[in-house]
Amino acid sequence: MESPAGPGARSSLTGPQPHETGLDSLQFGEDIQHLISVPPENASSFTALLELPPNQAVELLHSPDSSLRTRNVIEAHQQKPYLQPHFNAANLMFPTNSGLIERAARFSVFAGENLNNITNNSPETSSVPSNSSANLEKVVKSEPESFLNPLQPLVSDPTTVENGAQNQRPVKRKEREKKGKGSTKKSKSSANGKSEDGEKLPYVHVRARRGQATDSHSLAERARREKINARMKLLQELVPGCNKISGTAMVLDEIINHVQSLQRQVEFLSMRLAAVNPAIDFNFDSILAAEVKWIFMDSNFHSMAMPLMWPEVQVNGNRQNYEQQWQFDALNQLVWGREDDSYNFITPENSLLSYDSSANSEMQNDLSSSSLIMEVWLLCVACIFSSSPTISLHICPEVHSFCLKLD
Amino acid sequence: MNPDHHSSLNPSSSLKSRFTKTFLRSLIKINKQRPFPYCPREIFQRCHRVKTAADKSLARAAGSRRVWSRAMLCKIRNRSLRRGCQQRPSVRRIIIGYQTTKKGYCLQKKMSDDQEVGTDQASKLRKLVPGGEAMDLCSLLDEAAHYIKCLNTQVQVMRRIADIHSS
Repeated sequence: MESPAGPGARSSLTGPQPHETGLDSLQFGEDIQHLISVPPENASSFTALLELPPNQAVELLHSPDSSLRTRNVIEAHQQKPYLQPHFNAANLMFPTNSGLIERAARFSVFAGENLNNITNNSPETSSVPSNSSANLEKVVKSEPESFLNPLQPLVSDPTTVENGAQNQRPVKRKEREKKGKGSTKKSKSSANGKSEDGEKLPYVHVRARRGQATDSHSLAERARREKINARMKLLQELVPGCNKISGTAMVLDEIINHVQSLQRQVEFLSMRLAAVNPAIDFNFDSILAAEVKWIFMDSNFHSMAMPLMWPEVQVNGNRQNYEQQWQFDALNQLVWGREDDSYNFITPENSLLSYDSSANSEMQNDLSSSSLIMEVWLLCVACIFSSSPTISLHICPEVHSFCLKLD
Repeated sequence: MNPDHHSSLNPSSSLKSRFTKTFLRSLIKINKQRPFPYCPREIFQRCHRVKTAADKSLARAAGSRRVWSRAMLCKIRNRSLRRGCQQRPSVRRIIIGYQTTKKGYCLQKKMSDDQEVGTDQASKLRKLVPGGEAMDLCSLLDEAAHYIKCLNTQVQVMRRIADIHSS
């Protein structure tokens, strides 16, 4: 789409050069060619600078004979989402007749007007500092030679943002050649919060709004502030009760309190766990029942890995598939301390259960075997879930032997 | 289901499951190693061990892509190193020296940058979040968000375990 237009534009440019002596034409032609041969993203930034609706800009510069070609190009261009509202410089067909100068003047006026009304709409464009519009207006009043000027300041604006708006001609040419790097490295385009939404861009893009300072430091500051504000919003969502608070300081206070409270809770719980773990009445049945309720049977487990599935099921909510079945079975099979209803159910386990109840009483009295108990528990759970879910559960022989050891 | 695939990861393994796995494993180890503590000092020691285990497993579960998890693991390792080789003061000095210089440099840098957002709060947050000293405010907030998320999971899981064991 652009490539046919590119060489076309180039060829059209090489034609008129002898006529435009007053315009320092050779260099201008080279520069235009360079512009056109530059990859589209640079061109888009250039056009973004112009902030022109493509049709109007084209009509300004266009000689009627080539209008068709350009319009096709523009339409093709408009299909590209990233270039949408922007006029691609690569498709600029500069008129080859002497009306160029008038049109250029008109164009620069138009561009100047548009630049004054920059809004924050376009998603990815280079920034147009407000001083560049002032420069443009200055330029418009000058002679036809100034045709170069409106293009040059516009083109090299991304790079001059850093330099604090130096819109000198000789500087421009160099900077335009560096535009390839400049637009990607140093250009700052819109910051509608898109660049901060979790993307780790090496360079932040902000747009200089109307009436705001445009030097590089304040732009960088603004970018940083916006990043920080976005992160604060995320934090506000995480910390409960932070949504109503306004003001960074208060929100930060809340966040700090929340983190401190969470850390204190962890300490308290670890103390509880340290005290509770080798408890006197370490109930397997309740543990197993609770565990089984939440185990999500989707994978293979080592004995150590077994207990971890219950929080996941809590998260996944898949317990309906297995809960009824498992709770029933597991309770019946692995209840070691309970003597009420567990024996009525699955028969192969009954012998083991009866065996285990005696073992359990031993276990209960022996504090030092609490670790053994835990291991037995884990092994049981592992055995249950290593077998297929539909088969009735047989307690593994290892568990059986383990229970023997406990006596 | 293959019971032989012990090492194969559950494709849907979440932070919660990873944390629970590691934490329970270390809990069992702790229970195995020491007898039940009767005096308060032993209880305190054990509590500290449990807490370290919880932090370590949380940091492991969070992954090494996060600054705070790496910092926490480093801290734990250095702490155990320091305790382990108290006979070798040179090692300790090196460790401490490294930490303080890093902190000092980074703090200086931070003080100049964060005048606008409440420096004392930022410094408080830095102390709370592990590894927070060496970060600019932007990534500090980022890490703090992830840290809060992980702490929530940790508290949930530990509470569940404690409830199960105590009921």
